[in-house]
Amino acid sequence: MLRLQSSWLLEAVGEIGGVDSIFFPCFHRFSALSWLSRKEITLYLNSPIDSQAMLARAWLSNRDGGFSEKNLQKFNQVIKKPLELEMNPFKIWKERLFTSQQLDYLFYWREAAYEIDDEKQREIFWATVYQILSYWLTNKDFAGRQILEPDQIMAFCIEQHRSFVKGRTGRIEISNIALDELAVDRNPLVAFPLLFDDEETQETELQTVFHAWFHGHADLEQARRDIKNCLRRYLISFEKTPDYSTFVRLAANADMAVLCWSGRDLPPKLYEQEIVEPMRSAFSSRYNRSRLFFKAVDRSIDAYDYLLVFHG
Amino acid sequence: MLISVFNAVLIVLVTWLAYRYFELRERTSPTEERYSQFVSGVASIVDRIEGYDAAHSLEVAQTAEKLALAAGLEGEQLQALKAAAMLHDVGETLLPREILRTAERLNDEQTYLMRTHPLLGELHLKSRMQTPDEVPAIIRWHHERWDGLGYPDNLKGEEIPKAARILAIADAISAMRHLRSYRPKQYKSQKDIDAEIERQAGLQFDPELAALWLKLSPAAGNN
Repeated sequence: MLRLQSSWLLEAVGEIGGVDSIFFPCFHRFSALSWLSRKEITLYLNSPIDSQAMLARAWLSNRDGGFSEKNLQKFNQVIKKPLELEMNPFKIWKERLFTSQQLDYLFYWREAAYEIDDEKQREIFWATVYQILSYWLTNKDFAGRQILEPDQIMAFCIEQHRSFVKGRTGRIEISNIALDELAVDRNPLVAFPLLFDDEETQETELQTVFHAWFHGHADLEQARRDIKNCLRRYLISFEKTPDYSTFVRLAANADMAVLCWSGRDLPPKLYEQEIVEPMRSAFSSRYNRSRLFFKAVDRSIDAYDYLLVFHG
Repeated sequence: MLISVFNAVLIVLVTWLAYRYFELRERTSPTEERYSQFVSGVASIVDRIEGYDAAHSLEVAQTAEKLALAAGLEGEQLQALKAAAMLHDVGETLLPREILRTAERLNDEQTYLMRTHPLLGELHLKSRMQTPDEVPAIIRWHHERWDGLGYPDNLKGEEIPKAARILAIADAISAMRHLRSYRPKQYKSQKDIDAEIERQAGLQFDPELAALWLKLSPAAGNN
């Protein structure tokens, strides 16, 4: 779980030097970058995970507006007669994750999108399904009834997307390149949202399900392996000997580097010992100075947010 | 001029009261009642600046407390939530008065400015505090949405601290009870409001807390 506080990040680095662009070699969730994407700075975003890069393209870099009304009318059909379950590639998710009706729509939406000629429009349609999966997965655990029918929630989420991209003019470049192959250009600031190896959250579960759906299969283990493989040498593990060479390489041409993470159930002292000091040691050949910032979120459970800025 | 002289005076007053509140909280062990009186004083000034026709902050704090108790919050967590609920719109005192008082729908630029108020509120309070405290963070996140499409940080789901999720529901309930320039729709009864809370469960609101509210609501026949 990571609470990226973009304005705080800019405040922290602003005390050291101004930035007109930020490079994220990897990001944890597209919507967390919304605030930055509306600022007068250039964002270079990379996700080694193709499904996440697609979401960022559809939600953050879309300057051409939202999903067209014509396409919505055409592709947001109501399924009146249940589809043959045997034909559905996601059938093993039945009951465990989704209802039969939801599975029908997941199958239909994925296939229908291929009929959309414009790639940007197609990606918006797929990216909207991410929000719908989120809605269904979080609601399935609660007794509350779901008021919106699948076609209604699709229309609602398409409208949300329109509002989200409205007036978006920021300069954003999004790539989908493996971290090992990522070229490191000169940049004033490189930002690393830290991801932890053993962390399973609602969001990581959602990303796994979406990745599988995006690739047209229901094998969640395969999807989990794919994602982990893309993030190898980026995920932080307290179990293994730290190897931060990927971070150091990606920061090689940046004037400043910032690491951000959110702690939970562990005292700040432990994060200083397990992350801050090893990172300081790893980055010592590149930067002379560093500064740690932290904020209280909920002291009763030792929840603090952290920023570690390297410079000089 | 972004801040008028009138606003500047009010800001100084609000800052001083907030400072007194946190100073008391750190240095002495006054009763909860004493905290509440201070915070309530600040909140009533904020409400007045915003031009609300009712004690919005107090109403939000009462709803938030009810929901928080049912959700199992207690001690420091509960106290922090109550203070944040009272002060959640303090950042609006730093905005031009015409935005707060307008009866018309806000344009894009005004909406953008309006959306800075959670950040301004957090910064304003944090600048007066010498030790880490969660009240500014709760204020920062009271407009976040469960689905990640809120502001300012687009936090999603459980990334949003529970206190801020509770405050978001309480603030929305109070806002729906009264006319607002940014929303043409007027909710006529508590039942209408609860229907909207239910509709937004898993979208705008934490579904678990929304379900809890539906049991606690005056319209559910409990009160």
